[in-house]
Amino acid sequence: MNIIGQYIPGDSVVHQLDPRVKIIATILLSVSILQGRVFGLTELTMFLLAVFAVGGFRLRDAINALRPIRFFLLLFFFLHLFFTPGETIQPLSWGAFSVTYQGLFKGTMVVWQFCLLIWSAAILTATTSPAAVVTALDRFLRPFGRIGLPHHDIATMVSIALRFFPVFLEEMGKIREAQEARGADFRGGSPLKRVKAASAILVPLLFSFMRRAESLAVAMEARAYSRGPRTFMEELRMRRVDYGALGVTLVVLAMPFVAGL
Amino acid sequence: MKDISFSYERGKGRALKDISLNILEGTYVGIIGPNGCGKTSLLRHFDGLLIPDKGKVSVDGLNTRDAANLKKVRQLVGLVFQNPDNQIVGTTVEEDVSFGPGNLLLSPGEIRRNVERALEMVAMEKHAGRQPHTLSSGEKQLVAIAGVLAMNPRYIAFDEPTAYLDPSARKRVLAAMRKLHREGITVIHVTHHMDEITHADEVLVMEKGAIAGRGKPAEILSRIEWLKGLGLDTPPVTELLWRLKLMGADVRVEALTLQDACEQLYSVIEKGISGGSI
Repeated sequence: MNIIGQYIPGDSVVHQLDPRVKIIATILLSVSILQGRVFGLTELTMFLLAVFAVGGFRLRDAINALRPIRFFLLLFFFLHLFFTPGETIQPLSWGAFSVTYQGLFKGTMVVWQFCLLIWSAAILTATTSPAAVVTALDRFLRPFGRIGLPHHDIATMVSIALRFFPVFLEEMGKIREAQEARGADFRGGSPLKRVKAASAILVPLLFSFMRRAESLAVAMEARAYSRGPRTFMEELRMRRVDYGALGVTLVVLAMPFVAGL
Repeated sequence: MKDISFSYERGKGRALKDISLNILEGTYVGIIGPNGCGKTSLLRHFDGLLIPDKGKVSVDGLNTRDAANLKKVRQLVGLVFQNPDNQIVGTTVEEDVSFGPGNLLLSPGEIRRNVERALEMVAMEKHAGRQPHTLSSGEKQLVAIAGVLAMNPRYIAFDEPTAYLDPSARKRVLAAMRKLHREGITVIHVTHHMDEITHADEVLVMEKGAIAGRGKPAEILSRIEWLKGLGLDTPPVTELLWRLKLMGADVRVEALTLQDACEQLYSVIEKGISGGSI
């Protein structure tokens, strides 16, 4: 089971936190990961692994979450390893290519930062139902309602987009298979040929989704949907544990500054 | 009680012609008819998705022409469509079921109660947290039904609810519909399959935008040649009895259940044996 980008229902403390806390914490964590140095990253690694554990995930899940981007990480590492100017590590030098101490350090840091970014995003998506994310979004946008932003409609739109994304992927696969069965070739060829081949998927996909949109609009109207205010089942209320979680996150983020590292 | 009487005109050809009907609360009404006969248009009039050009549709005294009534009408009359995928809005089962009550501006507590009750009625409460794309199509259709139930409707109109389902899912959905009817909800069931509505209180047969016939399921079934002429499916049991009758057997065509058909056949066979010939 890969946890990246997928909600895994559960009843841990992390699952039950107010989605707003999790979204804000994820944003703050991302910023500090990108700013982080060795001390900060070490601390954040421990923090994120602890959150994984509290959320009911195992170390294996955390490592699996990185699997889809492993080649990307390797590429980044080697680019930095070979192309950072600095002091050459003697045995690792082949003409124009040479590994430097600075490269080794920078490559490690970049890969580390990427891993942590993926982890913090994975914790958010794995422990927060899309419904909760939408409710939080609606709440965040509410202040802009006063200047005429239709925040309820935006929340509904985002919800529908999240709902139909997997349907979209599935349908794309089906159309692709159907076109291949009729002799379409999506592999190889010149860029122009590939664009033409892709249209054999995109055009039917577009038509299918236009039909879906029409049926969905009728079904929504039948369920008394109209633009404007709606109420939500999820009530967002900050409890003590939410403030606590936010507090812990802030302390963790402040540590490197306090330590002066 | 619900009064519907309207005619509806659009463009040159009229999709529906001078239909006048009354659906009594607590009944199970089946509607059959060939493709393009106006069944779907008729249903869309029931909750004000379509407004008749002439005449009126009223639900518990509320005229659908009056825009101020629409929310109430849509709460009273639920619609369940063919394709389960295209009527689920939410990213999780319970969020989807909460969509209707949310549109009715119920409080979070009320919404939760309605959602839980609705999911229990279709036996989907264990799946509340699941994402729609992980459900089977039968389960999706049950979620769609729960989505309507959460609005506390008095009437639910189903537009070929089993068209996209495999046989076992079809059974599950039909059982859920009969259960709702037993619990007091008025069911209007549009279908291509006469065998899905043999238990209905009344069956309407539509043809070319008009009601071509109405009656008890047995009365409708007894006119099997006429049904076949309209291109409608007849249950295999009815078909069998009809062919036997054509061959001279003394049977009634309108057997509603397999048991009924068996008894008829048995008595024919028995008579044949005692009379010395079959």
